Amino acid sequence: MNHRMKMKHLLLVLTLAAAPLSYAQTIETAAADSLSNSEQELQDDGSFTFTESQLGENDDITTDVIQINSNNNVYLSQIGWTWSGIWFKYRALDNAYNDIYMNGVQVNNPENGRFSYSTIGGMNDATRNKDDVGVFEGNNYSFSALGGSSNYNLRASQMAAGHKVTLSGANRNYTLRGIYTYGSGLSKDGWAFFGTVGYRWANMQTAAIKGTFYNSFSYFMAVQKVFNEKHSLNIATWGNPTERATAGASTDEANWLAGSNLYNPYWGYQGGKKRASRVVNNFEPSVLATWDFNIREDMKLTTSAFFKMAKYKTTKLNYNGTNPHPDYWKRFPSYNYNVWGNEDDKNYDYDAFWASYDNWQDERYRQIDFDQLYFANTQLNKIGADAIYWIEARHNDHMMTNLASTYDWDIKKGLKWSVGIQLLSNRGSHYKTMEDLMGAENFHNTNTYLVGDYRQTSTDAMYDVNHGYQKIIEGDRFGYDYDLWNQDVRLWTNLTLDRGILHSFVAGRIGGRRMWREGFMRNGLFPDNSYGKSGKAHFLDGGMKVGGVVNLGKGHAISFGAGYEQKAPGAAVAFMCPEMNNDFVQKLGNEEVASTELGYALNNKWFRLNLTGYYYYMHGGNEWHPFFNDDATSFTYNSLSGTEKMYYGVELGLRVRLTSSLDLLALGTYSEAKYTDNTEVTWMSSTTRDKLIEDICYNKGMRISGTPLAAASLGLNYRIKRWYLGLTGNYYNRIYLSYSPNLRYASNMRNADKELPGGGFAVDEQAMGNGGFMLDASIGRQFYVAHHPLSVNLQLCNLTNRRNITTGGYEQSRSNYSVNESDKNGTKTPRTYNFTKNPKKFYTQGFNFMLNINYKF
Amino acid sequence: MKKHSFIILMLAGILSATSCQSGDWDVPEGLATQPPYGNNTLVAGKTATIAQLQSQYASTISSSSYKKIEDDLWLRCVVTGNDLGGNIYKQITVQDETGGIIIGINGSDQGALMPVGQRLLVSLKDLYIGGYGEQAQIGGRYNGGIGRMELTEWQKHVRLIMDGTKEAEDFGSMKVDTVDFDATKSMAEQSGKVVRLKGVTISGTGTQTIAPDDGSVSPIGGCINRTISGGNAGNKCLLRTSTYADFHGLPLPSGAVDFYGVATWYRGDWQILVRTESDLTWVK
Repeated sequence: MNHRMKMKHLLLVLTLAAAPLSYAQTIETAAADSLSNSEQELQDDGSFTFTESQLGENDDITTDVIQINSNNNVYLSQIGWTWSGIWFKYRALDNAYNDIYMNGVQVNNPENGRFSYSTIGGMNDATRNKDDVGVFEGNNYSFSALGGSSNYNLRASQMAAGHKVTLSGANRNYTLRGIYTYGSGLSKDGWAFFGTVGYRWANMQTAAIKGTFYNSFSYFMAVQKVFNEKHSLNIATWGNPTERATAGASTDEANWLAGSNLYNPYWGYQGGKKRASRVVNNFEPSVLATWDFNIREDMKLTTSAFFKMAKYKTTKLNYNGTNPHPDYWKRFPSYNYNVWGNEDDKNYDYDAFWASYDNWQDERYRQIDFDQLYFANTQLNKIGADAIYWIEARHNDHMMTNLASTYDWDIKKGLKWSVGIQLLSNRGSHYKTMEDLMGAENFHNTNTYLVGDYRQTSTDAMYDVNHGYQKIIEGDRFGYDYDLWNQDVRLWTNLTLDRGILHSFVAGRIGGRRMWREGFMRNGLFPDNSYGKSGKAHFLDGGMKVGGVVNLGKGHAISFGAGYEQKAPGAAVAFMCPEMNNDFVQKLGNEEVASTELGYALNNKWFRLNLTGYYYYMHGGNEWHPFFNDDATSFTYNSLSGTEKMYYGVELGLRVRLTSSLDLLALGTYSEAKYTDNTEVTWMSSTTRDKLIEDICYNKGMRISGTPLAAASLGLNYRIKRWYLGLTGNYYNRIYLSYSPNLRYASNMRNADKELPGGGFAVDEQAMGNGGFMLDASIGRQFYVAHHPLSVNLQLCNLTNRRNITTGGYEQSRSNYSVNESDKNGTKTPRTYNFTKNPKKFYTQGFNFMLNINYKF
Repeated sequence: MKKHSFIILMLAGILSATSCQSGDWDVPEGLATQPPYGNNTLVAGKTATIAQLQSQYASTISSSSYKKIEDDLWLRCVVTGNDLGGNIYKQITVQDETGGIIIGINGSDQGALMPVGQRLLVSLKDLYIGGYGEQAQIGGRYNGGIGRMELTEWQKHVRLIMDGTKEAEDFGSMKVDTVDFDATKSMAEQSGKVVRLKGVTISGTGTQTIAPDDGSVSPIGGCINRTISGGNAGNKCLLRTSTYADFHGLPLPSGAVDFYGVATWYRGDWQILVRTESDLTWVK
């Protein structure tokens, strides 16, 4: 072999080695291919069902994790599946930093930036084809997001042809699942059809968490016509009307009293039957039309139009009196006696402590007593009074219209250019309706929190002055009713260059956003700025990033990336109190994000190793939180502006081929994700017209919650003669709970006597959850029945039945003292109950399984 | 054909999915006759009137101490005041034809369960009776005096008499009149009763509302006392209102007015507790 041929051969090898690090979909390495069909199917079906229960399906806490994936990186390709049981968040990032595309059009809800994976649950066969990229991977559909991007390919001709039936059984949030899928493949006359229908079900007797149920039908249908070599048109439509009951987080005291870490306070008995108080109804029918135009062999134009009409409502038991939920803090034994040993407590009541303990032994006490709530309402009917209890539905609907066009050009060998435009308009409709008056005959659209300062019938206390002292019946809108509009224009471009040992890319984006609110109720406290349209806010954002891979030969490669971008806020954080008026928050601006990453990869016949370090710096973000502030003795709306955060850590993924049928898989991460400076906060009370109050939230050092910041796994996968066996041990640690901002406001800490003599404050440590070890196993076998493949997979999770590992939770925002607002000196009365020591938590389920049977014919 | 079958299957699925599990929930049966509150198995025994109780435990009440009721006595009464207006806190006031008394219950929103006019049968055995500031009260022990009984305890001792039931028939009617306030009457004669103040003036310092919560007046036990004078008020009569009452922000009337309230006694003073805004007849 002469020198020239050697060089050519070497370049070819290097090019091939580098390519997977930048083109996730197109080239896979031999090691990645070592996943058997059975294992792949198990992951495809299992990971989705495993995580879809957690993705966007919990109302109390942000559990929206990112389904990151990348075929180029062992770590990225495995964590979504392996760590789904703990709600692992990739790099501790919010789901808003993960961009989701469908045939090239971005479908994240711009209001909060998030994509709800639950909206494509139950249609696994349709969503299998996707192109995942990490933050520093070039691609031909986007400026990749901080938490990675995915582009689902929903073209009918790209789906597997044939019939497939899937039957599943599990002891998780649903019990049974059935899916039927049919794909025609591309016919000779250029037509392709694909459809899948599925149903997921659990009732109150079978669901893993007491008091919940699951009822979800899913459909997906796509038709494609390939007109000729240049043009094709694909139309896809899907949706999954779902009705499900949700569970709530609880304090350790509640769990201990109830004898279960899965205690759920949101259900109770009515007429001897179990009834859930929090039921989500969600249906987001979507239509996507895609025109593929192959201009010439090296040039392509993809244009997609997307329309979605999303209906989402969640019910909640509400009240005008004392909280009737069984986990209301005054119902606990520790409300009566300080179990934490505060010897100064003069308010203890030992008899009441034991009486409460005894009460909690009765399931009827520790769940909602619907019969009694109905009885109270019917008693009030006798005197013509308004309902004291009712179930309301909070609606978050949205209508999204998107248009995207992407132009790809393979300029020459090793040089590719993509450019695209995204246009988006989203209307988010937010309102409450009366779901169930629970036997009451009267209810008025009045802000009962104001009654006392104002008369019940006064204009000031009306939620909607335009309708006066309005009587509400079931189905009526009340409380608040407004739309939030977001409109975006975004341009992006991506240039990839392969030259010698370097594979690199540079990408950029620029965009404009405008947003406004339109109110449909004239709130009595804000009659002049609540009804009609607000002003419009405009933002210009954009960014640049570069990245690359240097192939060092013999399978060694170094990857790097750096980027800077500004991200416009969504309407969800843009308004001070959108339920009441049109005012924008005062310090609304773009979030600045600087990001960098350095990685090492080794790829050969036996090893596949990825070691990556990353560092993100974010500054200028906005957050918005509504909560009850004891120090203000009022429900408050809080806007945090100019947040400063850092995310950094190391990630390891290793797959070792021990024998031709045995792999060892090791995964690990140790990361940090925290606020690095205190944050300015502006807040206002929901019960006054008072001006905005400014304060400082001492949140420096608070960690991002709801995910382990340290995790490690060691697993073995064995494949032989169509059998697949897997055993994985997972260890999780450094799990923080969502911190409560208002407990760390300067003014509130002064009230709590936490000011230090030399200045500054003794800020409460952030509450933490428990980490721990979990053992998972899976077994799969492929058979042939009537010459067609039948796969049977059984996934066994948490074999050691660890029930004390925390998956998330939050600090309660209430104070350990009450403030007497009518006292000039604002005297404080210590509470026997200690909110600080009683964060609410979610725990792992314990042993759970899923059996999955697929038959293709 | 396959496509057609698939579409039919899909439409059938959408239709079936509309049959929800959360369901339509009707008002539970039997609420009107077998209330899910209190003890529906209680059957009345020997009745004690409120006047008899006040008399039997007169010294205990006047000395602000307490005693356990050992006798198997039954109280037949009507609710006349509760927490529905946010002024009376964890107490109800009841009356029979002979008098009125306060019952302390450690529970919230009891006014919704026992609205004014609700007839009650109360088993007094093992409950406590005593005086709080010399005001007669039935309840439990608290800090060496009479206080509230636990809600679970109360529910074992009370039966709500529902209209149209056999128990209502046995209970019979109980006519409880509203009387004009008489400052000369004793605690036992008048306290716990709904009274009418006539031609009185209400005055006080600070913001001129019934119970200002802006710090212009220092509350005592979370309440603001206003002086009631003139008319039939006598010279030791106060309007006592919680700063959390639904009507605390109403302006004080500028002239002489009539209004209603429950008469209570506290160490030599009459304290009038307004129940809801409708007691303030001057408010239109």
